[in-house]
Amino acid sequence: MKRLKLSDILITIVIALVFGIIYKLWGPVYNIFKPFGLHIGDVIYGMWFIAGTVAVLLLRKPGVALLAETAAASGEFLVGSEYGLSVLLYGVVQGLGTELMFALFGYKRYTAFVAALGGIAAAVGSIVMDAAYGYVMDLALWKLLLLIGARLIGGFLLAGLLAYFLVEALEKTGVTSLIRPASDEDYKALDQ
Amino acid sequence: MQWTLQYKETWLHRLNPSFKLVFILALFLLLLFVHNPNFISNVTVVPFILVMFATGHRKKILAILMIPFLLLFFSSASSMMFFGQGTTTWWKWGIVHMTEESFFRGLHIGFRALNFALLGLLFALTTRPVFLFYSLIQQLKVPPRFAYSFMAAVRILPVMMEEFHQLRAALLIRGIKKKKGFARIMQSVSLYAVPLLSQSIRRAHRIAVAMEAKQFNNKERTYYYKQTLSRVDVYFLIYITIGFSLAYWVGTTFPYFDLTDVRN
Repeated sequence: MKRLKLSDILITIVIALVFGIIYKLWGPVYNIFKPFGLHIGDVIYGMWFIAGTVAVLLLRKPGVALLAETAAASGEFLVGSEYGLSVLLYGVVQGLGTELMFALFGYKRYTAFVAALGGIAAAVGSIVMDAAYGYVMDLALWKLLLLIGARLIGGFLLAGLLAYFLVEALEKTGVTSLIRPASDEDYKALDQ
Repeated sequence: MQWTLQYKETWLHRLNPSFKLVFILALFLLLLFVHNPNFISNVTVVPFILVMFATGHRKKILAILMIPFLLLFFSSASSMMFFGQGTTTWWKWGIVHMTEESFFRGLHIGFRALNFALLGLLFALTTRPVFLFYSLIQQLKVPPRFAYSFMAAVRILPVMMEEFHQLRAALLIRGIKKKKGFARIMQSVSLYAVPLLSQSIRRAHRIAVAMEAKQFNNKERTYYYKQTLSRVDVYFLIYITIGFSLAYWVGTTFPYFDLTDVRN
């Protein structure tokens, strides 16, 4: 397994803290949408999973998604989230979700498809936390299904596709050549 | 956390940061297994007293910081109150179905969120980040690579804020028009997120290279700040234990609600 170097960790945490600030700004937006009952708000919930997917798509190493999502949650907390330290617990579980998906593919595939699965897995993690914290399983059934559906769609769209789009845009700037480990194709290119 | 606000140092500031973090996280887990609304509503008083009287911050600032808590309380509680499952109907109007069970469950979630927020605020108001990271290395044996990365990354944030303002001014001068709806999201990704992220990735990479060039590694190291456990940590432990026991005793002897478990 490729071990995380200092530069990997530092870059992951810097990206994560940026998303941490976005996470914090996202709180009031979500709270305004939430009480209306129809869970439009839960589609934008997906933004809270994006750090993990973006970081792992950029750095392509094991452990990055978990570290990024945890660090983003602590960043959100550092700048004064109204959810307090509970964001840290959510962050760890959501990060684990994303991490698991990329691990299932052996940390070899970094496509939009896997990213979308990673986003959805993070959404599942958040629902697990909500079941313990907010008793969501005791909501009226139609509402529970709406919540789960909206959450998964949010994870798919924002943490999956938007993250992939963002990383693709970042690749065009050339920064990824600084940070990614040399791949097999790179070595093959040298042989010719 | 504490970067700039004016405050008086109190005994809560002298708590060991790692102990405080682990202890508060343990309280969170404990609160997740509390299902008695009498208990949790009483328990809220315990962190509230500390935040109001022992954090050493001005009351006005504390009040401002607690305004979002009200919104949080209602937004956490309302969804379960109006749409939860239950058998004893209180009120029905269209899709809104308020029952006795769901009302108390909603109230319980509101108080739980309030407790989490107050404990989080307590931690944030009384912990200096640099001490926290030193303490994480010294007490919890977190590898220095992670802790120092955090400290360096936090220092990059102000630079990024400056870059953000510069970027916005530059785009304004060039007369970039804001798009609407979904296109707006994509536009802000390419105009703001990409340049800000790529610059900070480059900066983080340079800092890492510089740190390694100066022989930053995981071997034995000495510290400017020494963090230790002390008497105040015991005081904190005693205060919380007594507070929680008292809250439990009052909650079971003089209950406000007949309910003892909101899950039913």
